[in-house]
Amino acid sequence: MDILLQVLANGLMLGGLFAIVSVGLTLIFGIVKVVNFAHGEFLMLGMYGTYLVTTALGLHPFVAVIAVVPVLFILGALTQRLLIQPLMASGDDHIQIFATVGLSTALINLALLVFGADIANTPPHGLRAPIEIGPVRVLAGQVVIFLAAIALVVGLQAFLARTQTGRAIRAVAQNRAAAELMGIDVTRIYALTFGIGAACVGVAAVLVAPLYPTSPNSGTYFVLTAFVVVVLGGLGSIGGAFAGSLLIGLIDSVAGFYVGSDMREIAVFGVFLLILILRPSGLFGSRLKLAHVSP
Amino acid sequence: MSTASPTTTVPRAAPAGTPALPRWQAAGLALVLAALVAVPVAVDNAFVYHVFITICVFAALSTAWNIVGGFTGQLSLGHGIFYGIGAYAGVILAGLGVTPWLGMFAGAALAVVVAVAISYPCFRLRGPFFSLATIAFLEVFRVLALHFREVTGGATGLMIPLKLGWEWMVFRERPPQLAIAFGLLLATLAVAWFVRWRRLGYYLVATRERESAAQAAGVDTVRVRLVAVAVSGGLTAIVGTFHAMYLTYIEPAAMFSLTLSIQIAMFALIGGIGTVFGPLLGAVLLVPITELARGWLGAKALGLHGLVYGLVLMLVVLFMPNGLMGLVARLGRRPASRGAQAAPAVPAAAAARPAIGAEILRVEGLQKHFGGLHVTNDVGFTLREGEILGLIGPNGAGKTTVFNMISGFLRADSGRVSVRAPDGTWHQPVSPADFAGLGVGRTFQIVQPFAAMTVEENIMVGAFHRHADVREARAVARETAHRMGLGPWLDVEARGLTIGGFKRLEVARVMAMQPRVLLLDEVMAGINQTDVRRAIDLMLSIRDGGVSIIAIEHVMQAVMSLSDRVIVLNSGRIIAEGRPQEVVRDPVVVEAYLGKEFVHAQA
Repeated sequence: MDILLQVLANGLMLGGLFAIVSVGLTLIFGIVKVVNFAHGEFLMLGMYGTYLVTTALGLHPFVAVIAVVPVLFILGALTQRLLIQPLMASGDDHIQIFATVGLSTALINLALLVFGADIANTPPHGLRAPIEIGPVRVLAGQVVIFLAAIALVVGLQAFLARTQTGRAIRAVAQNRAAAELMGIDVTRIYALTFGIGAACVGVAAVLVAPLYPTSPNSGTYFVLTAFVVVVLGGLGSIGGAFAGSLLIGLIDSVAGFYVGSDMREIAVFGVFLLILILRPSGLFGSRLKLAHVSP
Repeated sequence: MSTASPTTTVPRAAPAGTPALPRWQAAGLALVLAALVAVPVAVDNAFVYHVFITICVFAALSTAWNIVGGFTGQLSLGHGIFYGIGAYAGVILAGLGVTPWLGMFAGAALAVVVAVAISYPCFRLRGPFFSLATIAFLEVFRVLALHFREVTGGATGLMIPLKLGWEWMVFRERPPQLAIAFGLLLATLAVAWFVRWRRLGYYLVATRERESAAQAAGVDTVRVRLVAVAVSGGLTAIVGTFHAMYLTYIEPAAMFSLTLSIQIAMFALIGGIGTVFGPLLGAVLLVPITELARGWLGAKALGLHGLVYGLVLMLVVLFMPNGLMGLVARLGRRPASRGAQAAPAVPAAAAARPAIGAEILRVEGLQKHFGGLHVTNDVGFTLREGEILGLIGPNGAGKTTVFNMISGFLRADSGRVSVRAPDGTWHQPVSPADFAGLGVGRTFQIVQPFAAMTVEENIMVGAFHRHADVREARAVARETAHRMGLGPWLDVEARGLTIGGFKRLEVARVMAMQPRVLLLDEVMAGINQTDVRRAIDLMLSIRDGGVSIIAIEHVMQAVMSLSDRVIVLNSGRIIAEGRPQEVVRDPVVVEAYLGKEFVHAQA
C-alpha cells in the first residue's frame, strides 16, 4: 500500500513537472495557433542560464529567475516577430513546422558548440533533499515545482480572464480579423503571447535545473511529453493541459513501476497516439476544436 | 473504371506524356549525377568516397521522403522508422545467412505494412499534428528496438557479420559501395519521377492542394496517399538496408533517430519540396557540410554543422520557401509564349436538342439535421436524362446541403439517393468516389482550385477520371480548356486566375470528367453580363451533348432561360416545383423570397 502511494505521489510530482513545462506551449498553441517545436530548446536555454547564474555567482538557483525569465520573454517575442509572423500569411503548414524545427535544430547545436556535450549539474542548494509527507517521500524541489505549476496555471487564467490585455489576447485567438477591426494590434498581441509563453517555460527552467542534469538534449527529453500533454488537454486549454499533465505523470509512474521502466515511453506515447487518432479534440476538450482535423 | 467516351476528339498536336525538362536543366542534372561518380573516382581518396556515398544515401532517402512529404504534403518527421526497419531487417537476416540483397526486400515489405498501418489512422490529422504523430510512432519504435534485445541487440546494437563480397554487400574497398549507393539513388529518382508524372502523381498533388475538390474529381484520396506512403516507406527501407551494411554497426538511437528524420525532410525542403530533383540538390549541397565538419574539425566542431543546418533551414523558409528548385525555375522561366488568343467559349452550332429521356437520378425523403437545425426536411425529386433542373431558394434554404448529399460529401440522416448506371441498373452510391464513378460530377460554390497546379493540370485531374494515360488526359484537358475559353491560360498557375476564371475552371474540371449528371453550384454568381450570356450558351451545349444538369442559381435570367423545371427550396423543404414561368408567379414562392407583406401589397 505504501508503495502504491509512493508511486502515485511520484506520478503527481512528475505531472507537476510536465504541467509547468507545457503551460507556455499550450498558451502559444491556443493563441498563435503555432506548434512551437523549439519549445524544449527554450527550456534547455533557461536551464543553462540557471546553471551559469548559480555556479558563476554562487547564488541560490531560484535567483536566476530575475535573469532567465526576461531573456526568454525577449527570445520568444523575437521568434514570433522575426520567424513566425512573416510566415503567417502563407497559410502553409509545412513552412511553419520547418521554421520552428529549424530553430530547434539551431539552438540544440548552438548549445553543443558553446557548452559541449557534457552534462551540466546545477547545484541543488538543498532542493534535492527529501521531505516526508505522511507515508510518502518526495524531493523539496518537486513540491516547489508542483505548487509553482498550480500558481502559474491559476495566474495565467486570471490574467487572460480579468485584464484588458488578457481579453485582447483571447479576442485575437477567437477571431483575428474581428479583433483587428476592434483596434487590437494583432501583431503586438502575438509577439506578447509568444513572449509570455516563453517566459513561462523560463520559470519552469529555473525550477527544473536544480533537479535534472542539463545537456543540449534536455529540451527534447521534456518537450515530447509536453506535446502529449497539450494534445491530451484539448489543445490550447490551460486547465485541460494541467489535468492532462497529472494524468500522464501518473501513467508514466505507474507503468514505470509495474510494467518496467523501459516501457514507460510506450505507455505515454501509446496514450498520445490513441487520443490523437480517436479523440483529437482532447480528453477534456469541452467544445469540438477540430481546427487540426481535416473534414 | 469506365471506358473512354467516344465523343473525345483527337487533339491536333499530340501533347507529351511527361513534361520535358528544359535542356539546360537536364544538362545540369546530368552534370550533378555524373559528378557524384566522377569526382570520387578521379580523386581516389577514401574520405572523398565516403562523402559521396553519404550524399547518394541521403539524396535517395530524401527523394523517397518527398513522395509523401512533398507530393502529398503529409509532413512526416518519422521516416527513421522505415530506415530503421530496413537496417535491422538487413542486418538480422544477414546474421541468419540471408544475403542483404534479399533482406532489403524483406525490410521493404515490412516497412510497407508498417507504413500503411500507422498512416491510415493518421491521415485525419493535419499539419503539425500529423508530424507530431509520426514523431510519437518513431519514439515507440525506438523504445521497442531497445526493449526486444534478443532480436535487436538492444542498446549495445548489432554488428554486421563480416563476410566480404558482393553477395554480402560488404567490401574492403570503396568503389563497389559507391556503385550500389549511386544505383539506389538512380532507382529512387526514377520511381519518384514515375510517380510524379503519372496519374498517381497528379492525384497526390491535387489531394494535397484541395482534398474535397480531388474527391469530387473521383480521386480516392485515402487510397492514393496510402500508395504514396507505401512506396516511400519501402524505398526508405531499401536504402536503410544498404546504409546499415555500409556503416557495419547499428543501434536503436542512430537508426530510429529523430535527428535523421528531420535531416531527410530538411534536404527536401531546402532543395525544393514537392519537386522530383529538389531533394537531390539539397543533399548535394548540405551533406558535405556535415561530413567535412566531422572529418576536418572533429570533436572541436561538435554541433557546428547542426547549427548551420538550423540556420539554413530558417533562412530558406523565410526567403526561399520554394527551395533551390524554385530559384532554378525562376532563372529559367520561359517567356509566356502561348499565343493562342482567347478562343470564344461559345461552342460550335449546337445540334438539335435530344428529347428528355428516362430518369437518371432519384432522390427520396432526404432528412438532415445540424444539431437542432432541420436543414433538409423530406426532400425528394427526380432528374431525367437531358434535363436541366433549376434549384432555387433564399439564402440558407439548404440548397448546397442537398448538393452535398447527392454527391457523397454529406451523409443524410435518412432518405435515399439513387443513380442509374449506363447499363440501366440502379445504384445507391455512398462516397464521393462512388458518385464520380457513376458519372455524377459537381462544382463548388466557393471555388476550389488546386492553387499550385497550372490550369491545364487542374483540368487534367478531372480528365484522369476516364483517361488513365497522361497523354490522353492532357489532350482532353486542352480541348476542354479551349471550349471553356481557358485556352490562353493553360500554363498559368491556377492561383493567378480572376474570379470568373475560377468559376470556368470549376466547370472545366468537372466537364473533363465527362459526367452524365452535372451538379452546378452557383457557377454564375459574381460574373459579368457577357459571361453570364456565354455561360448560358455553354450550359445549353452541354445539355445538348446528353448531360443532365441540376443547377443552383441566383441569376434569374439564367434560371428562366435554362431550366426545364424548377424546384424551390425554403427552410429545408420543397415549397414549389414546376415550369419556371409558373413557379416564379406562385404566391408561396414570392412570399418565401420577399415576405408576406409584399404578397399583401401586391394583392
